[in-house]
Amino acid sequence: MFRVLKNEILFKLNGWTFVSFIIGLFIIIPIAFVAIQFNNSSENWHHIQENVLYKYIYSTLILVLGTGVLSVFFGVITAWIISFYEFPGRKLLEWGLILPLTIPTYIAAYSYYDVLETFTPLMLWIRNNISFSAMNLFNDFMVYFVTIIVLSSVLFPYVYLSTRASFLMQGNKLIESAKILGHLPGQIFWNLILPLSRPAIVAGLSLVIMETLNDFGAVEYFGISTFTTGIFRSWMGMDDVGSALRLSSYLMFFVLLLMYFEKRMRGNAKFDQNDDSSLTHKRLVLSSSKSKSVLVICLVPLMLGFIIPVIRLSLWSISASKDFFNIELMQIRFNSIGLASFSSIIIVIVSIILLFSSKYFSSQIIKITNQFAVLGYSIPGAVIAMGILLVSAYINDITNIIITGTISSLFIAYLIRFLAVSSQPIDSGLEKECSQINQASRNLGKTAFHSLMKINLPLLKKPIFVGAILIFIDVFKELPLTLILRPFNFDTLATLTYDLNKQAQIFDASIPALIIIIITTIPIIFLNKKLERKS
Amino acid sequence: MIYNISIKASSLFLIISFFSFLSGEINLYTHRHYNSDKLLFKAFTKKTGIKINVIKGSADQLIQRLQTEGENSPADILLTVDAGRLVRAKNLGLLQPVTSPLLIKQIPSEMRDLDGYWYGLTVRARALIYSKDRVKQNQLSTYEDLAHKKWRGRIVVRSSNNIYNQSLLASIIAANGELDAYKWAKSVRSNMARSPRGSDRDQARAVASGLADVAIMNTYYLGVMANSSDKKDQDVVKKIAVFFPNQKGRGTHINVSGAGITKSSKNKEEALKFLEFLTNENSQKVFSSANYEYPLKINEHNSTILKSWGQFKYDPLSLSVLGEKNTQAVKIFDRAGWE
Repeated sequence: MFRVLKNEILFKLNGWTFVSFIIGLFIIIPIAFVAIQFNNSSENWHHIQENVLYKYIYSTLILVLGTGVLSVFFGVITAWIISFYEFPGRKLLEWGLILPLTIPTYIAAYSYYDVLETFTPLMLWIRNNISFSAMNLFNDFMVYFVTIIVLSSVLFPYVYLSTRASFLMQGNKLIESAKILGHLPGQIFWNLILPLSRPAIVAGLSLVIMETLNDFGAVEYFGISTFTTGIFRSWMGMDDVGSALRLSSYLMFFVLLLMYFEKRMRGNAKFDQNDDSSLTHKRLVLSSSKSKSVLVICLVPLMLGFIIPVIRLSLWSISASKDFFNIELMQIRFNSIGLASFSSIIIVIVSIILLFSSKYFSSQIIKITNQFAVLGYSIPGAVIAMGILLVSAYINDITNIIITGTISSLFIAYLIRFLAVSSQPIDSGLEKECSQINQASRNLGKTAFHSLMKINLPLLKKPIFVGAILIFIDVFKELPLTLILRPFNFDTLATLTYDLNKQAQIFDASIPALIIIIITTIPIIFLNKKLERKS
Repeated sequence: MIYNISIKASSLFLIISFFSFLSGEINLYTHRHYNSDKLLFKAFTKKTGIKINVIKGSADQLIQRLQTEGENSPADILLTVDAGRLVRAKNLGLLQPVTSPLLIKQIPSEMRDLDGYWYGLTVRARALIYSKDRVKQNQLSTYEDLAHKKWRGRIVVRSSNNIYNQSLLASIIAANGELDAYKWAKSVRSNMARSPRGSDRDQARAVASGLADVAIMNTYYLGVMANSSDKKDQDVVKKIAVFFPNQKGRGTHINVSGAGITKSSKNKEEALKFLEFLTNENSQKVFSSANYEYPLKINEHNSTILKSWGQFKYDPLSLSVLGEKNTQAVKIFDRAGWE
């Protein structure tokens, strides 16, 4: 341990690693503030443990499990169909299936706000013909069922995207050989392709799970007491910061565990992927009847996660009192676009600096700080906001500088929350494309800056682009952080949707919600183009 | 020529900035997001020249933010939708006491902090609504009665995460003691037709759809629904009626949307003027006509819809108590299994 540290300081301390270390620390502090509270024994902890902790764990697990399974189901099946079969409409579906990503969970929940009520006649029938407790059971089931469907139908594209990319990468030779050896397509799928794609599926799944844990709007609306709602109940309802932080830290450790498993699974399988990926796939052309059935299969999640919400919102927007182009809305649109663009630039630059200096100098310390710095993604946005508020209280005490209420506080918050989003593609890009070349470049005596500019950045164009777009979309949709840290008289499309919704102006809220969807659709189409394999 | 124009322009700019310096600004942290407020803010600026800057957010987050910003906070006023959070802000040392004869005159004593840390602005009544088809008015009486077995499977109420429910239970603790409050919460929970979810409006919808017969909800939501552009909401309102419970006893539970001047306020005088403005007779009418809330003098309004619900007696419990018993209420809800 000591030797490693000494080694780090003697040989790896330079401008790059120093700056990276400071940035990393800066990001970690609010997160660490939460993490160290796992043993906080505040006054109400006993009460929470006795009465509600079990319920929080139980309902969070059901939600995570249900949403995870359904998202994998939707994601893998659609990725399989799109990658291996040719049928009319495939091209359209290929990028269409990503579109649900444009709908944040709070808007999905809002577009389905009355869906549970449609079951009232059935519930009444159960009460009258079976029993009251049967109705209760049915109701509880439906609450989870609907929430899980709503969440998975907008989150499954994470699995679809990662799995599809992995399917496309898998060697054609392997599949061809399997075919020649007489294996049926089903066998090839179960025994060959699925195991090979497991790391990709798990990667997508872990994003789904984090988004599920982050959701507050949907679960609150459907009345499910998860960890996240519990955190706020303790914080605000019981005025007990300690318990709230302790619950948050539990949530964080859960995600940490998750990430550990994800890494391990990915790590084991990493080398199996780089088969002859230069070959193009030959997709199996389907007969018209089979085409129809795969079309229907792909359309189900797309309908649930995109088409139905958009149709409903569009219908509501007809009755709205404002149109899409009034001056106030234009200003707000400008706010959202500006915020999202700047954030994605800042965050991408930071992730490049952090990852490059960790890889280039193979610094253990930076590697570790990086691993902690990306944890922000696992913490519900609203909890990060609290962490930032607590930390900036200290800063305010010492320096009299107020960070809250300025645009920069929003950038800091987004950096903490979304660093992982751009780090992931850039990290794997560095790993895959640059590590050996960097070694060579170092041996040739080039500076780190030279290597970065001349070798790494050109090679990393694609992952950087992907990271930037993903952050743009995430920031554009972001609600809880923006809500609490924004400056005076400042709205984004997300906060406006939330506000109008709170006032039950279902019709008026549809307009900013639709604008969010429309604007995020554009970069998503770009993203898809980039991710498509160049043949 | 150009020189001339630029002189004129810059002197005009100077004059404007001088006046805006004179008339000042107020920075408002508010949980409210209603059109009635927008109207009132405009009217206030028109009348006094004082500009209102707004940050909307949940009161909890705004309080947290005030706490963070400490003495340097730009906020002058914290506006919430319940008294409990104002008490919390007071206890955290975020507000400062102010007083004025006008405020004392315009606001009944139970609807403001006795030390002047916060003042109520509008009143919300948490009453019962019931199905006109399946419940007779004389079957209803008190909140306490909802714990009776005869209501099994017939009640809907929203989650106890909601502050209005926490305040209601706080008032029941104040009236009947902790043990009875616990028994009440437990029985009402087991009488519910479904696990709690959704907003107050969703409870009205559930009653209209026949899933339940009685709901606890704030009356102003009913006004909003009755005047909604959504025909479905209008139909819901036609099927239900309002009942004010506990009329023979302590009265119906009320809460206020209120405001306090922050400790850090740099525009205290303007802020005070603003509070006086919001509580004057005219503004009070705007709250009741545009947002269907009750004015501070609850029967002094000429809103048709409020009149249609009838007059009622309210629980004169000092609203500070709601804040003091909030934690206790949340814990009781937890123990009673009311999600």
